[in-house]
Amino acid sequence: MTQRILTLSRYFLRSLLFSLAGLIYILIGFAYWLVMFPPDQHTPEASYYILVLAAFGAGLTFLATLTIASRANQAGHAAWIVRLPSRVEYLTAVLLSSILFATTLQLLLALLALFRGPDLSFSQVLFIPPIWLALNTLTAVLALHATDFVAAGWSRVYLFGLIALFLFGQSLNDKNSLNTWIILRINDLSRSLAGAGWIVVVTPLNNLARWLQQDGPGALGNFFSLPFWPFHAIANAVIGGSFDTSQALAPAVLLLYATLLIMLAADIFANKDLDLTE
Amino acid sequence: MIEISNVTKRYYTLTALNSVSFQVPQGEVLGLLGPNGAGKTTLFKLIAGILTPTAGKIRPSGDIWPKIGYKPERLLFPNHLRVNEYLQQVAHLSNIPASQSKRVVQESLERVNLQNAANKKIKECSKGMRQRLAMAQILIGDPPLLLLDEPSNGLDPTGQAEIHECIQALHETGKTIIMSTHHLQEVTEVCTHLVILNHGQVHYDNNMEKAMAAQSHIRIRVNRPLEEFGHSLAALHDGVEVAGDVVYLKGEAMEMRRQVLVMLLESDFDVLRVEHKRISLSEIYAEAVQ
Repeated sequence: MTQRILTLSRYFLRSLLFSLAGLIYILIGFAYWLVMFPPDQHTPEASYYILVLAAFGAGLTFLATLTIASRANQAGHAAWIVRLPSRVEYLTAVLLSSILFATTLQLLLALLALFRGPDLSFSQVLFIPPIWLALNTLTAVLALHATDFVAAGWSRVYLFGLIALFLFGQSLNDKNSLNTWIILRINDLSRSLAGAGWIVVVTPLNNLARWLQQDGPGALGNFFSLPFWPFHAIANAVIGGSFDTSQALAPAVLLLYATLLIMLAADIFANKDLDLTE
Repeated sequence: MIEISNVTKRYYTLTALNSVSFQVPQGEVLGLLGPNGAGKTTLFKLIAGILTPTAGKIRPSGDIWPKIGYKPERLLFPNHLRVNEYLQQVAHLSNIPASQSKRVVQESLERVNLQNAANKKIKECSKGMRQRLAMAQILIGDPPLLLLDEPSNGLDPTGQAEIHECIQALHETGKTIIMSTHHLQEVTEVCTHLVILNHGQVHYDNNMEKAMAAQSHIRIRVNRPLEEFGHSLAALHDGVEVAGDVVYLKGEAMEMRRQVLVMLLESDFDVLRVEHKRISLSEIYAEAVQ
């Protein structure tokens, strides 16, 4: 299994590296370095260095995964896919090659950015790998779910719809104009229903409106922002210069998300009709 | 070797295969015939595991998966690779140790007469060479089940003959082969079993020898309608059929030709003509797809 996955990963890596897309990604990397870490200026903050390069790694992993997945989805590989005992090996190779490509380029940029860059302490160097790897892995899996290669039916609409819902939901709070708008609409609806004699429905609607006026938005906001805690925790820890015991778990939680999403992707990919492009 | 039972495949509202059932015994070369759109390629993709059936099951006996050699209908390859690089890749995916992969690739190239193009880029290969490359890749790793979707399509007569020889050689080594084709001559030359698909359904399924035997018959024409006497002839055997002034002897009933002729002559019928008619594969096909 390992031989097959490594063979496929090497193939995907090589095909990306020696392609126009690969060249463009490398150029984007250098452009990013020039813009974010100008060689003629001294980069003041270690946190800036870690977070800006983490964002680059995540973004590049997303793009590289989209590219490799679209290549992997070509009909020219059909004869290879049927040779594999499990399709998941193919999926793993796509994931591995994307992460390897992006992380290698990220490390190259990290080395370049050290030129007139921040003085990193040993502890800061130590917490870079879990942060970058966790973020890269998570974005690679998210990108896989966005591709035709893995998506089946409405799967990506459900997944990204859910993420959008949580992103949207975490912005709810009592000062939010949208929240006020929702309360007004509920009150209107409640009055209309009361006029029509639907008293059974009116009472719960009034309760909902009252809850939204009081502590509801806060609770909802907390609920929706809970999944994003690892991102906040990592950013806070990097800016603060050290991880406390709970913040240290954040990269592991990101890897847990990635694992769950990989399992979902593997399940979808193993059972879907492969719609290979010709 | 492989049993396909009640397999249905639907793409939204289109039914590509409708309750298809047949068996492919080990070591057989099954020819899959059918007009364009009959569902042949869909069936290949289902057997190869690229598609999943909407209903029904495809059961291989024994542990044949993942050892399938699959030659798709469309000859699509990673064009940036060289011929030997592509085959090396197949060798690695077939768990062939690196120390043996070069030899295995070389052997497969020689079997399809492509050894001179080993270092050629795939994008520079002609259609015929690509067809041979597709055949070469299925040989790597010695898979027991080979799926060949139109294996000689686009080849010149010499190339077709070479592919036929290759398929026959593979058959002799005990491989189970399922191949689709539009060349009826190809089926006659290399297949041992015939399945004809039309509109996503099996319209014909028989062993080639039996198919050819079952479709030949003896036709006896007499001077007047057989009428009541025809019933007593038909009662002799299921393979005896009477229509007007003609008696048909089909299958095993052909052995009764002397007895039937004697009966006719004894009953004062004049025998005008006796024909041993063999139905060609094209007639079987035409009848099945009509």
